[in-house]
Amino acid sequence: MYDFDWSSIPNALPFLWDGMKISIQITATAVVVGILWGTLLALMRLSPIKPLSWFAAGYVNLFRAVPLVMVLLWFFLIVPHLLESIFGFPRGSDMRMGSAMAGFALFEAAYYSEIMRAGIQSVPKGQMAAASALGMNYGQSMRLIILPQAFRNMVPLLLTQGIILFQDTSLVYVSALADFFGAAYKVGDRDGRLVELLLFAGAVYFVICFTASRIVRRYQQKLKIA
Amino acid sequence: MITMNKVSKHYGAFQVLTDCSTQVHKGEVIVVCGPSGSGKSTLIKVVNGLEPFQSGEIIVNGVSVGDPKTNLSKLRSTVGMVFQNFELFPHMSIIDNLAIAQVKVLGRTQEVARDKGFKLLDRVGLRAQAEKYPGQLSGGQQQRVAIARALAMDPICMLFDEPTSALDPEMVNEVLDVMTELAREGMTMMCVTHEMGFAKRVASRVIFMDQGRIVEDDSKEAFFENPRSERAQQFLAKILHH
Repeated sequence: MYDFDWSSIPNALPFLWDGMKISIQITATAVVVGILWGTLLALMRLSPIKPLSWFAAGYVNLFRAVPLVMVLLWFFLIVPHLLESIFGFPRGSDMRMGSAMAGFALFEAAYYSEIMRAGIQSVPKGQMAAASALGMNYGQSMRLIILPQAFRNMVPLLLTQGIILFQDTSLVYVSALADFFGAAYKVGDRDGRLVELLLFAGAVYFVICFTASRIVRRYQQKLKIA
Repeated sequence: MITMNKVSKHYGAFQVLTDCSTQVHKGEVIVVCGPSGSGKSTLIKVVNGLEPFQSGEIIVNGVSVGDPKTNLSKLRSTVGMVFQNFELFPHMSIIDNLAIAQVKVLGRTQEVARDKGFKLLDRVGLRAQAEKYPGQLSGGQQQRVAIARALAMDPICMLFDEPTSALDPEMVNEVLDVMTELAREGMTMMCVTHEMGFAKRVASRVIFMDQGRIVEDDSKEAFFENPRSERAQQFLAKILHH
């Protein structure tokens, strides 16, 4: 029978909290940038201008067809070198955090764009006609009438995607960036208490994600009634 | 004010409008009727360019609708339109529904736009509902708001696309009353409607359509008392029986 020893956790809490802050930062950046860029991609995809539509379709299909961990590795290994040679950043400067944020944001944008596309298509056609009939141009109609409704209809899905993203941030361990999962792993490895630390980290992820998805479900019910 | 000259439109091989020509003068109220699928809704949607057409010419207040150089948004801001399904913006309060295009399209200040909005709500008897959302109003009330929203742009003419078809019977009259009043005040109107009582009361002319063609275009007296085409006679016999 395995002897559990949880004593190394209390002392490690500040370090773990620092890790959690990194996880949250990456998640927040990727959600915000991902939704903005994803919305633009969705608009391009629905645009009558063929090259824009092709570009968006290609982008979405590419990112949805490769594993996230691979995209992250590209951003850790290849993009920093490119930036160094293009912008003359000093060699070896630590760009792991920026790389992680960019990698997640660009990857998630592909998923957010599909959600926003469905959201835009869920708004009745007559709304666009009514906006046009009042003299609004395409941009105004989209920005003032269609997107707010699309966004509101899709909030539960966007948030659910955000929860999945939060779990996926643990993949930054491939770059040895100490997010929450990475921090827990380091502490466990150092103290020879890997099992306890990983169980603890798992419990924390579970509590956060489970609570968040409950809240989303509540909101969804409210949206249905309204 | 509105001139249509041999307007034709097709979706692929399906001909929706064939050689439609008519004129609407200032202050006239034109009722467009006909069996479903006859192209009457399309006829008024091509007037403000909501539906494109392939040949012919439409001139609204001196501006050619089909000309690619025409600023369609600007043209549409001068032509009011009311839809079968109201199409109020559900994420905005009633007063914001009335104000938004005034502010964003005409460049009025929020204050002027709201003021105008309140006045128009007063006129359609819905001032008390200004801060509510469309979903909280009945169909008849929503349609009256939609009319007020179109009027807020100070349109030179109004297009109505079956404004009472989606309403419960007891709400039809409240909308027709607003339209009748508008007609009496001299608004130029094109209305697609099955409400023949409304047509008899306020129409200057009736256009009867069948299979994408304008079959009759006559004064209401001539149309109701003495329809020339057999198709219009059949239509009237059916629709006036109840």
